[in-house]
Amino acid sequence: MENNPIPVTVLTGFLGSGKTTLLNRILTEQHGRKLAVIENEFGEVGVDNQLVIQGDEELFEMNNGCICCSVRGDLIRILGRLLKRRDRLDGILIETTGLANPAPVAQTFFTDDEMRRNFRLDAIVTVVDAKHVSTHLDSNDESVKQIAFADVILLNKTDLVSPHELDSLKARVRAINAVASIQMTRDCNVPLNSVLDVGGFNLGRATEIDPKFLELEYPFEWAGAYALTAGTHDLVIGHHDDEHGHDHGHEHDHGHQHHHHHGNEDELDVAIMPVASLEAATISAVRDSTVEVFSDWERPVKEGETIAPGLPLNRLLLRERNGKYKLKVERPGLFLVFEGCGEYPLHIHAGGETVKPSWQADYHAAHEHNEDVTSVGIQQAGELDPKRLNDWISGLLRAKGGDIYRMKGVLCVKGSGKRLVFQGIHMLFDAKFDREWGQEPRVNTLVFIGKNLNRAELNEAFRSCLSA
Amino acid sequence: MQLTKHWYGQLDDYAIDLAWSPNGALLAAASAAGPITLFGAHDGARLHELPGHEGGTNILAWQPESPTFASGGQDGSVRLWDGAAGQHVSTAALGGAWVEHLAWRPCGPAPVLAAAAGRRFLYLNPDASVRRAFKDAPKTITALAWHPQGGCAAVAYFGGVCLWDGDDGVVQKEFPYGNGIHALVWSPDGRWLVSGNQDPSVHLWMPEKDVELQMSGYETKVRHLSFDSSSRWLATSGSQDACVWDCSGEGPEGREPVMLPHEAPVCGIAFQRGHGLLATASRDGALMLWSPERRQPLRATVKMPAAAASVSWSPDDKLLAIGSETGIVYTLRVEG
Repeated sequence: MENNPIPVTVLTGFLGSGKTTLLNRILTEQHGRKLAVIENEFGEVGVDNQLVIQGDEELFEMNNGCICCSVRGDLIRILGRLLKRRDRLDGILIETTGLANPAPVAQTFFTDDEMRRNFRLDAIVTVVDAKHVSTHLDSNDESVKQIAFADVILLNKTDLVSPHELDSLKARVRAINAVASIQMTRDCNVPLNSVLDVGGFNLGRATEIDPKFLELEYPFEWAGAYALTAGTHDLVIGHHDDEHGHDHGHEHDHGHQHHHHHGNEDELDVAIMPVASLEAATISAVRDSTVEVFSDWERPVKEGETIAPGLPLNRLLLRERNGKYKLKVERPGLFLVFEGCGEYPLHIHAGGETVKPSWQADYHAAHEHNEDVTSVGIQQAGELDPKRLNDWISGLLRAKGGDIYRMKGVLCVKGSGKRLVFQGIHMLFDAKFDREWGQEPRVNTLVFIGKNLNRAELNEAFRSCLSA
Repeated sequence: MQLTKHWYGQLDDYAIDLAWSPNGALLAAASAAGPITLFGAHDGARLHELPGHEGGTNILAWQPESPTFASGGQDGSVRLWDGAAGQHVSTAALGGAWVEHLAWRPCGPAPVLAAAAGRRFLYLNPDASVRRAFKDAPKTITALAWHPQGGCAAVAYFGGVCLWDGDDGVVQKEFPYGNGIHALVWSPDGRWLVSGNQDPSVHLWMPEKDVELQMSGYETKVRHLSFDSSSRWLATSGSQDACVWDCSGEGPEGREPVMLPHEAPVCGIAFQRGHGLLATASRDGALMLWSPERRQPLRATVKMPAAAASVSWSPDDKLLAIGSETGIVYTLRVEG
């Protein structure tokens, strides 16, 4: 009996998000499975033959109310009692109140030995009201936490928002939690297998992380390559160049647009860097060195003033998001122009002609979403030194465990042919070696979701754990 | 010394609690599903089958020197039953919360049943009427124990223990404790009040002297506590060993406990009521008898097919009743 733990699904979401709809849907559609529901309020769920128990979200706040050390006392009591049943349950659903922090629920299954032995936390499922979530995210830490902790996020009531709003909402949710599975729903109509038995806390599945969410973030949002002759050209931002059409410049009419300018709308950071060729490796090298240019000091440039390729970073001072500047090129060649914010049209005019970029790219910008809670993903080949890794993780959790909500990863540790998989909540974590790497490339993948995470510091600290 | 099977009976579900009638003639056994069975102690005859509580029975408590016993259940009620006649007598509906803790005042001018339902705490009369209702505890009540002389009822919740006077219902004392509490026991002489805790530890208070001790080092939360009749030995669960503390004099601090080894986590502990034998049960179904003060403490071992859910000595200490997780109720006789 103890070898086969009962899966537990935690449902979170603000009042009115559709959480009860989802719960009723699960209870109606599951067939032949005996589920127990621990509700926060009695009588919301009306399905016969199911065991419905009222919980009261009673916290056991160990250590002076530190949330990392809090567990749910009512769950220990109620689930302890549920174990004393002959007809075994196939699953447990725990519904939390809209304002509940999911951490103590998850911590209960990590810390209490009886809970750990008999139950398996399957996933935290967060239902989000697409219509109102933005307001909640702006004003309420708990709603941000519910997204940050989630393994599955239902963006519900999609019929009440425009496709554009939905895109930007999805991007915002994704910026907070890079690894949860996001489902778009109306009336919470998802297949049950995308919310039940998803293995969100299953160590073996900890790495099912879409690699595109692990892309590095850059201080710029757009770059274009221009072949420029020697001389002084015009660099025009915005739409006030009346001599030429808008068809040749960088107009940003492509694909996904969820750029939001942060800070002063009449400032735009631009760096112009020489590049030898358009080969991918060459562009990458320039891109990486430009990251440093963007983090270095900048020169304010007024309308009509002259800028030049290379250092320092130019901070163009605009008027109503428009501006015209001189670009002085000493030696002809190919240049990459980097824009801090990608939503400003940029054109270069040389000798009465608009120069067309021969290559361009969008970058996932670090400041794109102004959230305190974000995900930091690290993906890197190499073997880790077990001692350094241990020192780093334990030190990190001691110092920042309160801010780190979730942590997952699969690591490659020197001296073992097996994958080290781990999974954590705040200061608690579980790590174990699972299967052999075999033919699979030995790449370390780890993701932190939390508040005030320092991407550069985490990356640097991680690299220092690589075995020489 | 050996343990021999006296009789056994089968319940319809997990044997959640057992209670002997004070005269030792009857054994009440509650199943987690609800029904309560009354067995004849002598031969295991099923004398009465009572419905218990809808949704499940949680606890039984037999009134001292009486044929009446009380039960608490998930329906939020306390029911009183005439055990000899096998009849329901009366019911106190206490609200929506489960009734998980019941205890009769051991002595006093009139019988009093202390009952806890969620955060509510009450004294009931034997006719199920409310004798006294207290202000709600700050958190769900998780353990309840009367002082052996009946002077007060100790009520535990996350955050501490409160001693309510047995007569006038005032707060005698409050002992803060910064963690969850799963069990409470008084030493028979009333010197010690002990809690088994989530953290995991055992905390001892000496209410008369304002002394308190914390004994930690357990592997898991401590759910089971039992004092021997001399008040010297305190047996505790919380690991694969039953851990027995010497509480004589100034208490166990600085003393090495006696460790009584099992091969699986200990899930039941009971000292005899008037004698010195300790019964311990573990999750692998083993049941052992010990004399903790002896150099070779182990006295007898039996292995049952399922782990014990409840362990209880008969009033004369001659029979040991064990309710198992699979619903079998065994009575064993101590011989030799």
